[in-house]
Amino acid sequence: MNKSIYVSIIIVSLLLGLMISFQFRTNSSPTEVVPPERYQELTIEKKRVETDILNLEEEVADLSAKIEEARKGRTETADVLESELNKIKIYAGLTPLVGPGVELVLENPPESPGGSGFYNIRDEDLLKVINDLHGAGAEAISINEQRILATSEVRQAGNHININLTKLSPPYRINAIGNPGTLKSSLEIKGGLAEYLAASGTTVNIQQSDSIRVPAYSGSLRFDYAKQVQRG
Amino acid sequence: MWLGLLLSVFGMAVGVFIGLNLPLVLPQAYAKFLSVAALAALDSVFGGIRAAMEDHFDNSIFLSGFFSNALLAAGLAYTGERLGIDLYLAAVVAFGVRLFQNLAIIRRHILKKSYHKKENSL
Repeated sequence: MNKSIYVSIIIVSLLLGLMISFQFRTNSSPTEVVPPERYQELTIEKKRVETDILNLEEEVADLSAKIEEARKGRTETADVLESELNKIKIYAGLTPLVGPGVELVLENPPESPGGSGFYNIRDEDLLKVINDLHGAGAEAISINEQRILATSEVRQAGNHININLTKLSPPYRINAIGNPGTLKSSLEIKGGLAEYLAASGTTVNIQQSDSIRVPAYSGSLRFDYAKQVQRG
Repeated sequence: MWLGLLLSVFGMAVGVFIGLNLPLVLPQAYAKFLSVAALAALDSVFGGIRAAMEDHFDNSIFLSGFFSNALLAAGLAYTGERLGIDLYLAAVVAFGVRLFQNLAIIRRHILKKSYHKKENSL
């Protein structure tokens, strides 16, 4: 009798504990119980997201490759533009140049005992020299450190000659880069400029050199009236 | 009496341990039935304690009451679910009320006992 009471107490308490703990577990962890449909849904979603990630990673690699390419292209473009700019600067005479050529020094005739010199070097003489040198293929010319540009003027102003709005006085030192032989011979040709100038009493001194320096144009470039024609 | 208490505590601890470590999980749909059954079981346990304090504890009544109450409560909840009535509420109310009654009686018995002890010691 007594024994069976204890047995029943043990059974009952055991069952009660089991029930309570079971109930506690089901209620306290509802997330642990996932319906199979939801589980499947989530699995499918997970797979989709994983493939999405893979695709996106591929895209990232692709795009970064493109960016790299574009960057390379940009530096190439910049290089091309810079070399173009340098070329144009050389054409325009905005950079100092060096190369083989001739150096020509023109000096007024020494003053004659009977007063002032009867002949001075005039702007026309210098223009002729410049013209001759250009004709002989001179690539860059300067007179007394004044670069001759397409817009440079050579103009008599009293006893001086103005070039690039700068007053020059003799002796005139003309530097020209080009084929030294061609330049020299075109000046010294029979009946040429050198002979003509020498005949008028001017001292002409022509020297060939392997490194003639022609300075850059130092004035300002202005286009107040000219406008570029819009194309298209 | 004290041995019974010790055994019940021990049994409960083992039950809780087993319940927490069982790999099986009850589906959420059956949780309601089990909760009502657990309430009924708790009520019969308190009823048993009360009977023991009143010195008319009967083992067979206790055991049969325990199981029949639990099963009846669960069955009631199930039928209610089937019929569309929240019948488990009836079980909850009935067993809840009885639980509190039993608890009150047990409390009075304990108080009376301690009272007697004090009077005896004086």
